[in-house]
Amino acid sequence: MPPSRAAWRQKAGVILLVVLTGYAVLNLTWQGLIARPDVPEKDSITLHEARIAQLNPLLPASKEVGYVTTVENSEIFPAEQTFRNVEFLAQYVLTQYTLAPRIVRNNPDKPLVVGNFIDGPPAPGFLEKHRLVVLKDFGDGLVLYRREPKP
Amino acid sequence: MILFAASLLVSSAIGILLTFLLRPSLKGGAAALLVLRLVAGSGLGLGLTSCLYFICLSLGLSRFVPALDLLLCLLLGIAAYVLFRRNAPAADAPSPAPGKPSLLKITLAGVFGLELIASVVSFVFAFLKEPHGRWDAWFIWNMHARFIYRGGDHWRDAFASGLDWSQWDYPLLLPLSVVRSWNYMGGEEGLVPALLALVFTLLTIGLLVAALASLKGWVPGYLAAMVLMGTPFFVFMGASQFADIPFSFFMLTTLVMLLTGVREGEDHSAGPLILAGIAAGLCAWTKNEGLLFLAIAAGCLFLAGLAGGGLRIALRRIGPFLAGSLPILLIILYFRTSLAPASYLTASFTLPALAEKLFAWERYAETARAFFIMGLSFTQGLVDISKGMTIHPGSVSILLLIGYLVLAGVQIEQRDRTGIGQAAAILALMAAGYFFIYVVTPLNLSYHLATSLNRLFLQLWPGVIFLFFMAAATPGEGQAKGAGPEVLPQPTKSRPLPGKKDRNAKEGK
Repeated sequence: MPPSRAAWRQKAGVILLVVLTGYAVLNLTWQGLIARPDVPEKDSITLHEARIAQLNPLLPASKEVGYVTTVENSEIFPAEQTFRNVEFLAQYVLTQYTLAPRIVRNNPDKPLVVGNFIDGPPAPGFLEKHRLVVLKDFGDGLVLYRREPKP
Repeated sequence: MILFAASLLVSSAIGILLTFLLRPSLKGGAAALLVLRLVAGSGLGLGLTSCLYFICLSLGLSRFVPALDLLLCLLLGIAAYVLFRRNAPAADAPSPAPGKPSLLKITLAGVFGLELIASVVSFVFAFLKEPHGRWDAWFIWNMHARFIYRGGDHWRDAFASGLDWSQWDYPLLLPLSVVRSWNYMGGEEGLVPALLALVFTLLTIGLLVAALASLKGWVPGYLAAMVLMGTPFFVFMGASQFADIPFSFFMLTTLVMLLTGVREGEDHSAGPLILAGIAAGLCAWTKNEGLLFLAIAAGCLFLAGLAGGGLRIALRRIGPFLAGSLPILLIILYFRTSLAPASYLTASFTLPALAEKLFAWERYAETARAFFIMGLSFTQGLVDISKGMTIHPGSVSILLLIGYLVLAGVQIEQRDRTGIGQAAAILALMAAGYFFIYVVTPLNLSYHLATSLNRLFLQLWPGVIFLFFMAAATPGEGQAKGAGPEVLPQPTKSRPLPGKKDRNAKEGK
């Protein structure tokens, strides 16, 4: 290839790169800019944290607590792995994220149990089956339960 | 925030001083080499101070970490000063007069600057939308940081908590970097993970520019950085506070140092190879797949030495590399044997199950299909699970690099052939390793591919871009005096000028 032709092709390559990368970079910034007014003042995780953090004064510093939500505990992980519902897992994980270093067990078998019902109440009879008694209802689907000992 | 800046400053100083000790030939004042030292050193410093933090944490000395960091900084500073004084005559040697930069270089520098600002703005937008990062950030990395920091003297309990879904076998570079900053600040500051994510994102861009500028020239350096910044998934993942961007930084550092080591010849390769070993070790301290990378990099280095010069050369190359990675490997070994639970990839491992998957050809077909689609599309971002994987290359993807190569052609310097071949083999073997991990994964294959393959490709992406521009021809370099690569160190009393023959060959003498 003659040198001059090679140089022109190299310059064409540079122009191609500059134009396409420039478009990609500016497009990303533009998309962020136009989406900005629709972004809520507080993100969902900050809101969830503030909501769950209300439990802190009532929980012992290092003990384990249980967890219940709208669906059976055994459904939380499979629902995410089959992409049917990722919200239940996200809510459980964020509860753990907020309450760390306490351990939040994905079952109702602890003396204190966090109830997280953003997506609605559990099935009828669920609470009775697990002998859960309301210790404090914080509203907005957040309840702290005490688990009654077996009779 | 001042204390956060102090924590960053100290870690950066440690890494930069280490590069002075291990690569004194970089002491020339050339801008590219200076930026390379600052960028690579800052990242390595962050990784090494997280290792130091882990040692202190294990010994119950975490409250003394700032003092120990400063002490290490001081010791390295003294050692670097002594070395500098010893080589002082070389520092006085006249530097080549800087030539007038070409119009192309100035133009690209301007475009690069604008794109960098736009990328930072995009990062900030993504951060404002999700200040806690995305799924894995609070599912794994920041979760671990919180447990360790809030756990106080009982920080080990989290690893035995049975919360396997949070992957407690994952190594601790990122969580401990966050915890270290909180330790400096005296409290849990929510901004720290995002700021560290920004730092690693910028360091990766900076490393790409500086490495190419020092090895080949500023023009390919700017072009490479533009490709990386034009990858929406890169900025998105950076703001997501995942470990994949720090991992890609250490992977790129390893490749750059390996290539530098090969280029500098047998007499001067020890320093870069030690730095490469440290960076590869930090890969393994960042993510589990780093162990695969470390093994592949060591294997390729050894085999390339064996093929190029026999066993003696192979050992001379692998020795410094392993010396750099060994201390970090010992930390990982301690972490794995004393703290970490079994990985989900190996916990249910049985030979019959492995054999069954290895001979299930439909798994190869599904993985190969995903590799093809994602290989063309990963630069654009997350997979829409409801639609499955679809081809969507966008304006920046591997196709753009191929298009550029068709136009500009290939231009590989003779002295870089071995290094580029070695680095290409490492990246290809990493991709092959990922492929087989998917084939034998105990998870649902479709789920595993859809939720992680794009991130694994992104880990390799800065390295691919780096190698691509090391191999591709670029205009402008060498046309204007001083506009070309600034890789050659000044001659020293104790060290002969390396690469003189190569420089002459390059300049057409």
